[in-house]
Amino acid sequence: MAAVRTSTEIGFNRAAVVAVLVVTIIFLAPIYWIASTAFKPRNLATTIPPTIVFQPEISPFVKLFTKRSQLRTPPTPEEYAAAPWWERVVFDGGEKIVRDGKGEVQWSGYPNRFMNSLIIAITSTVLAVGMGTFTAYGFSRFKVKGEADLLFFILSTRMLPPVVVAIPMFLMYRAVGLNDSHIGLIILYTAFNLSFSVWLMKGFMDEIPKEYEEAALVDGYTRMEAFFKIVLPEAATGIAATAVFCFITAWNEYAFALIMTNRRAQTAPPFIPSQVGSGLPDWTVIAAGTFLFLLPVAIFTFLLRNHLLRGMSFGAIRK
Amino acid sequence: MTQIELRGVQKFFGAVQVIKDLNLKIADNEFIVLLGQSGCGKTTTLRAVAGLETIDEGDILIDGKPVQHLKAADRDIAMVFQSFSLYPHMSVYENIAFPLRATRKSKSEIDAEVRSVAKTLQISDLLAKKPSALSGGDMQRVAIGRALVRRPKAMLMDEPIGALDAKLREEMRAEIKRLHIKQGSTTIYVTHDQIEAMSLADRIVIMHEGVLQQVGTPDEVYSRPANLFVAQFVGSPVMNVADAAVAETTSSASVSVGGAASGFEFPRALLSKLNGHAGSELALGIRPEGVLIRRDAADGFLPVETQIVEPLGSFDIVDLKVGTKMLRARTKSGFVSGPGEKVFARIDPTQAHFFDKASGRSLEVRL
Repeated sequence: MAAVRTSTEIGFNRAAVVAVLVVTIIFLAPIYWIASTAFKPRNLATTIPPTIVFQPEISPFVKLFTKRSQLRTPPTPEEYAAAPWWERVVFDGGEKIVRDGKGEVQWSGYPNRFMNSLIIAITSTVLAVGMGTFTAYGFSRFKVKGEADLLFFILSTRMLPPVVVAIPMFLMYRAVGLNDSHIGLIILYTAFNLSFSVWLMKGFMDEIPKEYEEAALVDGYTRMEAFFKIVLPEAATGIAATAVFCFITAWNEYAFALIMTNRRAQTAPPFIPSQVGSGLPDWTVIAAGTFLFLLPVAIFTFLLRNHLLRGMSFGAIRK
Repeated sequence: MTQIELRGVQKFFGAVQVIKDLNLKIADNEFIVLLGQSGCGKTTTLRAVAGLETIDEGDILIDGKPVQHLKAADRDIAMVFQSFSLYPHMSVYENIAFPLRATRKSKSEIDAEVRSVAKTLQISDLLAKKPSALSGGDMQRVAIGRALVRRPKAMLMDEPIGALDAKLREEMRAEIKRLHIKQGSTTIYVTHDQIEAMSLADRIVIMHEGVLQQVGTPDEVYSRPANLFVAQFVGSPVMNVADAAVAETTSSASVSVGGAASGFEFPRALLSKLNGHAGSELALGIRPEGVLIRRDAADGFLPVETQIVEPLGSFDIVDLKVGTKMLRARTKSGFVSGPGEKVFARIDPTQAHFFDKASGRSLEVRL
């Protein structure tokens, strides 16, 4: 009996491993596709069947950051020899980098959009997590009149897809002059994330034993000091998890960014596909933009991985 | 020099009154133990003194000054929690230094005091560790260290060793006592364990359902319980309590238990000391060591049958059937061989307690 059961178990384990591998491949395939396309020469980007083995190139990234125009005549050997390496790779692709009258290189719109994304996502994450943490602490530790109703109200703001209110929001934003502004998107994303942040942080706050703060109160600290010295460090795990989720939401948001912004405060998501429209689509440039866009979230999550994995209480409270 | 006084303290949780008109005076350097079952209000009382709980009525005075409106931080009191509540993100050193950092002490002063406390508690080699790396006993030492380091006016301890296992609990009990004798500070200690209370306390305060039952030295509480609750709560094995009927015989008094035909012989003085209560419903309380047994018949001894024998090593507890009632007696180990044995028993009148059944009050009969 035992032997039979063991072999079924082994079989089951192997099947599980295979299943995990398949799922992993399905999830990683698009990322690989984007990453590999970002390093492909333009003519290999759209081949059928896809090119798997190729000489990686940096040219898509050079093109991503610069304004280019089609070469009517090939560069003279002198021009080619005088050009820096990054200009040569553009020449090789049959394009040239646009320069102004003083010979300064013209940048593409991408770096600005990327910065906008960073500013808006980081600020709205800090605001949402900060306010969420304070709110959650209040709900967790004090008797609040109508607590259940208030928490339900906070949650109810997530009960319809945000896009539903896009048009009224756009009109309101235009009326008060918030459209195409950083602050406008920051307010919007903070509002999206706040309810989520409050609920998630409430869960984490409830997990932190009250005795920690009580000990600090008796030890001669005010509640505010106890909050900053004891509760916040204990809530680090929860704050990290909440921050990752809020950051991802704000970073990836597309619909409102598309509607509310066009130049000054435009974020990367609506900008990247907009490059498709200018001339022949250069998929390698789009892939390069997308690839760079993926990095911050990956790095942020990677940096916080220890906090995300670490347990809440680690044995200093005996229950 | 710290006295603590509670005057007419009342506390409600919603409609439930958890502390009912509590009055208590604690002298300087005294070790007071609040003893009672869970939910009796002892922890709430402690938290009210600490400032973690507000009170609805009455005064809490520390050194004569009312403090019930002061924040916990301003009462200069230290507390050890049952859960120890060591801050997990700080090392042992930082945990102990934490209360000092709230004051305006210099770094070197703090360092010196942390090290001296650590030395007293023999935890100097643990200072760099995180609480998660400590054993239960060490966690508790650190928690006490954190409380001691500020030299507070008073120490409050909420079941500080309740979470430890039995052997360690005994060790730590002795250590707390040693520390109290050495350092000396007014201490309020909460526990539900009467052995802990007896061994540590200068005076024990017994509470039941928010009402103070008796305050006294361990000896007073043990040998002169004020009521049936205290009588049965303090002491292990538990005091025997049985309905008793007192009758007058020619030369003495007779107390029959559990409806038995013949009663135990008591001195005649009992009748006058009962002070007119002889006719009312009485309960007799007698600790197992007050039930004397022997193998052969003798004057004043009643024949009884043994039922259950519990050998406890240094002594045995024997259940005797008297009428419809079981009396537990304490005997030398091995004195009774087993159940069903015929022996002779009597009650030591000097150790007997009489209670009014209706009120539960002791009638203060001392023979």
